Amino acid sequence: MHEISIMQALLEQVRALKPDGALLREVHLEVGELEHLDGEVMQTGWTVLTSGSELAGAVLSITRVPVRVRCRVCGQEYEPEDVAVLLCPNCEAVQPEVLEGTGVLLRRMAIDEPD
Amino acid sequence: MTDIPVVENVLKHNDEFAQLNRDALRAAGVSCVNLIGSPGCGKTLLLEKTLRSLRGEFRVGVLTGDIATTRDAERLAAYCEHVGQINTGGGCHLDANQVRQGMKALPLADLDLLIVENVGNLICPVGFDLGQDAKVGMFSVPEGADKPAKHPRIVLEAGLLLLNKIDLMPYVPFDFDVFLHDLRSIRADVELMQLSAASGDGVDDWMDWLRRFVAMKKEARAACTT
Repeated sequence: MHEISIMQALLEQVRALKPDGALLREVHLEVGELEHLDGEVMQTGWTVLTSGSELAGAVLSITRVPVRVRCRVCGQEYEPEDVAVLLCPNCEAVQPEVLEGTGVLLRRMAIDEPD
Repeated sequence: MTDIPVVENVLKHNDEFAQLNRDALRAAGVSCVNLIGSPGCGKTLLLEKTLRSLRGEFRVGVLTGDIATTRDAERLAAYCEHVGQINTGGGCHLDANQVRQGMKALPLADLDLLIVENVGNLICPVGFDLGQDAKVGMFSVPEGADKPAKHPRIVLEAGLLLLNKIDLMPYVPFDFDVFLHDLRSIRADVELMQLSAASGDGVDDWMDWLRRFVAMKKEARAACTT
């Protein structure tokens, strides 16, 4: 249930970045697969937290970022089909360094500029 | 409609606080472990044993996180002078600012080791950097053998993994081969220690790991300052 903490952090961030008087239409998040964040719970959290505020009605769009790792033994980069099986397809070592698939990034906001 | 491209980590504030914690711990010469495991996996009992054994050897501080109650802090205070309870008020993990507030009540300059006992949860705490030197992930036998496969991130990020309650293996369904196979399918090079905080089996290995950990961090700090 850390979705709500993430949404609260997002809300603060959006408020800090949005120009005064602009109307927020959409925020776009990239969410790493290893964050184990549920999209529906995030949507609910966003709706509840923005409800009745100047951000109400803004759309939250989410892109999932798959896990991508580099083998520490042979250097091969790969995207595992199953995040619980990280065997290197090249040398079969299981010493992955995670390159992508963690973190939550605010990528883009769409706003209507104030008149 | 205007698009504003931004590339900002949503946990930026947490990570900034984590860095402040890391800097404060480093400046005070304190090594820090973030202990993460499910509710009931035995974190507090292991810490009771740990604090009792290390008394007089290390100066240890503990911050223990829970949704509510001060029960863990009360248990640990019997063995350690410097224990702080962080109540998250419903939050499923500790964040770096909560730890920062907790650290303010500890005499950091007088400590060698800070152990943060995270809120019982194997998922949410993993994504929140607290400024620790190492995350220690704790599984326990009654939880079942599938826990590493279901929680790959703690396996990927832990400096050490513990399997607690091995004394219960004869009594509960737990296939150790499956556990180990799953764990090693995620990461081959993370150390796994099997122990029972209740019976004491394997606890010395954990204690030795902590001794090595504190010594290693001290050496690294000395190398940085010379």
